[in-house]
Amino acid sequence: MTDNTLIEHLVTSLRCLPGVGPKSAQRMVYHLLGRDRDGGRILANTLRAAMDDIGNCRLCRTFTESELCALCVSESRDPSLLCVVETPANVAAINRGTDYNGRFFVLLGHLSPLDGVGPGHLGIDQLKKRLDTGDIREVILATGSTVERQATAHYIAEFVRERGILVSRIALGVPLGGELEFVDSGTLAHALSGRGEYR
Amino acid sequence: MNVNHHPTLEPAFVLNRRPYRETSLLVEAFTAKSGRVGLVAKGARRGKIPLAPVLEPFRPLLLSWRGSGELFTLTVAEPDDSVCSPRIWSVKSGFYVNELLLRLLRRHDPSPDIFEDYRQVLKRIPVPGQEEPALRIFEKRLLAAIGYGLSLDQDAETGRPVEHEKSYRYQPGRGFVEDHGAPCISGDFAITVRGGTLIALGRETLQGSEQLREAKHLMRTILRGYLGEAPLASRMLYR
Repeated sequence: MTDNTLIEHLVTSLRCLPGVGPKSAQRMVYHLLGRDRDGGRILANTLRAAMDDIGNCRLCRTFTESELCALCVSESRDPSLLCVVETPANVAAINRGTDYNGRFFVLLGHLSPLDGVGPGHLGIDQLKKRLDTGDIREVILATGSTVERQATAHYIAEFVRERGILVSRIALGVPLGGELEFVDSGTLAHALSGRGEYR
Repeated sequence: MNVNHHPTLEPAFVLNRRPYRETSLLVEAFTAKSGRVGLVAKGARRGKIPLAPVLEPFRPLLLSWRGSGELFTLTVAEPDDSVCSPRIWSVKSGFYVNELLLRLLRRHDPSPDIFEDYRQVLKRIPVPGQEEPALRIFEKRLLAAIGYGLSLDQDAETGRPVEHEKSYRYQPGRGFVEDHGAPCISGDFAITVRGGTLIALGRETLQGSEQLREAKHLMRTILRGYLGEAPLASRMLYR
């Protein structure tokens, strides 16, 4: 096989996906060509449409093909609760796994000062405007627990508090089904210092 | 070529890390005996017990590595929690200090004194009222360690001791000379500072908002000369 055949081109293109190396890319290509050409055509068309038409929600910045996403439009959700997350995948995870019924704001990243990712990249101005509408009673920070993500939470908390809005942070601690002796000391320290009343 | 087999665990801190390939991390570490080193932490983002949560900045670690050349392969990483427990604090200054080390220290250049100073400054940053003086002392010692030490107790022109009440002007590459109010030639570095501040900085006894403010501007100006044109990325966090 030469480098510039269509097959080789397709293999290389598929490798832009996470977790797809040359071997699995080749397997996908042979599968589509040999067994599922219709599936391949549907994939190609959907992929093109998605890449062209999906943008970011004007309010919460998650991915959507409309101006506003379904969660921001929904009237049944509590508009006074705002959960700040890093990625659209986080929105999906919280929506699927919890009974949270408020709105979201997606940062699309976290502060990483030494890599040049600053507040300007995270839609902070947009978030501030949202807070200034006066509808929001509580901001829930649901960023991860690495140092940079905690710095992100800290940074946001500062200007939320300035506006007299309650700031909370999702709890950090022992995972369900976890045993204390296998939990690292940092997590354990957080779990202990952030302990809550037993109910 | 830099060959390094490092079977023993060495005290270290992570200065910065970024994702590398699918599951690995590229770690820039600052170690007690080997200075700044670049390490590849293979598979650190996956596996039964991923290493990524351990390889966090500002946390005292014990690391060992092997390999040769510019980048080593990390073999062991353990938290060295006997030294101090990690806590949540405003990490702006921590990032700033890390960026200074990344920009001013070369790789594989051992600087054990700076390692100890770094450990001290991390301890003092979260203590109320100690953050500013600790940063200034660290900046001063870091400059001295990389060969740009400041002569804070002597007038560079006359050789006379610096006096409390007088004003001094910083001259890059030379030191401090008494300021007689003459117009300054090099606009970028036009900074004057009181003798008292220079003496306090030298003796590491900075106190009072006025001294701290002067010392901060002075160190910022001096560091700008060594950091080059690119602005400090960690300043983005200061509003």
